[in-house]
Amino acid sequence: MALRTLAIIVAMMTPATAVSNAVLGAGRGAWRWLGGWWQVLFVGAQLAVLTLSPSSWRGHPRAQVLRQIDEAAAPGLPGFTLLMALFNVVVIRIVVVTAFAYGLSQYALDAVVRVLVLELIPLAAALYVAVEYSIAGGSQLYKWRRDGGPQRLRAAGGDPLAHEVLPRVLGAMFAVLLLAALSCVISLVLTYVAVHGFTTAGVASFNRAVGHIFNPAVTLIFGLKTLLFAVAVSLLPVANALRDIEHRPSRTSVELQGLVQMLVLMLGIEIASLVGNYY
Amino acid sequence: MAPADPDSTEALNARRLQWRALLLLLMMALILVGSALYLMWVRGAFEATQPLYLTTDDSDGVSVGMDLTFAGFPIGRVRKIELVGSGTVRIQVDVPVKDAHWLRVSSVYTLERGLVGAARLRAFTGIPDDAPLAAGAERVVLRGDVSAEIPKMVSDARDVLQNVAQLTADDGALGQTLVELKTFSGRLNSAQGGLVGALTGNAADARRVGELLAQANQVLRRVDAAVGKADQQLLGREGLVADTQATVRQLNGLLQDVRQSVQKVDAVLKEVQGVAGNAREATVNLGDLRADVESSLGKIDALITELNRKWPFAPRQQEVTLP
Repeated sequence: MALRTLAIIVAMMTPATAVSNAVLGAGRGAWRWLGGWWQVLFVGAQLAVLTLSPSSWRGHPRAQVLRQIDEAAAPGLPGFTLLMALFNVVVIRIVVVTAFAYGLSQYALDAVVRVLVLELIPLAAALYVAVEYSIAGGSQLYKWRRDGGPQRLRAAGGDPLAHEVLPRVLGAMFAVLLLAALSCVISLVLTYVAVHGFTTAGVASFNRAVGHIFNPAVTLIFGLKTLLFAVAVSLLPVANALRDIEHRPSRTSVELQGLVQMLVLMLGIEIASLVGNYY
Repeated sequence: MAPADPDSTEALNARRLQWRALLLLLMMALILVGSALYLMWVRGAFEATQPLYLTTDDSDGVSVGMDLTFAGFPIGRVRKIELVGSGTVRIQVDVPVKDAHWLRVSSVYTLERGLVGAARLRAFTGIPDDAPLAAGAERVVLRGDVSAEIPKMVSDARDVLQNVAQLTADDGALGQTLVELKTFSGRLNSAQGGLVGALTGNAADARRVGELLAQANQVLRRVDAAVGKADQQLLGREGLVADTQATVRQLNGLLQDVRQSVQKVDAVLKEVQGVAGNAREATVNLGDLRADVESSLGKIDALITELNRKWPFAPRQQEVTLP
């Protein structure tokens, strides 16, 4: 009888215990999540301060920054530019032909510039730099930290953040901005050629249309978005490399998890820019 | 050959790397500065403009940055839209000075909204030789809104449909007409008189119409015979027309004789005119003669009077006393 009563009591208590465990688990997860983002923000703030301090631009740190800029931007520049030019030609052709077919040719230029220059090219440049440079750089940084690199650097009188982290972040940011800017210029030229052909007769109307699209608000949002993409792509892998990520029962690698986190952040930035542009 | 110094090679590589990085930075700076300058240029930052104020009671569809077009070419850009005191909207359009000559004092401005696409702000210049538009001029915008016409159009269409529904209702005018038409066509197809029966309404009248038609036929035959006879009398060999033709020929000869006689009379009249002229001259001469005679008589009278006065045997009594 007593055993039966105990079984009933246990059976009644089990759901409550499970719920409290789930709530506690969710709370711990949220805390970890917030802690992770705080770490990212804190590292970002430290790097911003270091960027603005003149000591980071003297001697060895400056050489490191220049080296990272070269490593981040130079190898991918021709390939990415060529690839984006081909992609631009395909998209421009599709949009222009479709617009002509529906008798909406006056909106073709507008659609192409808005879709390609304002939305796709910054996103593609950021993703390219993330995959090509910053995630790999974050992984190297993590290994360097795990192998005691920061302690050795500090023992030698150097600052790990200024000497190893800041150059990578600045290099990745610069690469995103350079690739995006160059591809935007090439995309505008290709759009002009696709719409007007090899003639200078349409320069005035093209300039007018571009000026109409890039009003101050759109230009500001475009610049901010590209800059935030660059910050997200350069900062997240580095910030993840500087903290101990708890081993989770997931089959995906830490790099892939970082990429997903980066994609989520970029999606948020993109949505915010769309809201700013079109609402 | 001496091996290359690793330190110097490393330094060379580092310097080369720095130069490449600096070139990239320079490229970035060029792109950014060039893009900024280009955007400022295409947005008219380096262009002298003059303001034009357009007023309207509804600025729906107008947005900052939209173009003012003239003959399809953009010649101005909306800079500011504001609500002024009287409840009207004032739109400030910046017109580049080099394009301002298209706008004249008599230019007309319209704001058009189609069913598809954005609103369009357009300028029309009817008199190109008119005085140029002054900077800061204020004009009223004429609005043409297709979508605003839709409610009125729907209302009108509803009225028309209601009228059609009333017409086509069972007790409507069209229905009643069709019923009448059906009755008529039924009567038309019936065996009682056909079309005549349908027109007259009953068989008796239709029969009477038939008899009337037969009698009319007989009358027509008689008229035909009478016309034949009249034709014979009128147009036959001995008919009236042949006699008339002979008479006309005789009359023609007579008229020729008369013309000759008239010509002779004309000659006589001419001679008479000559005689009359002579007579007129003689009359004038007679007048002169009479005057002379009157003058001579006056002189004789004066002479007798003188003689009487001087003649000693002349009676003293000059007067004749009548008994």
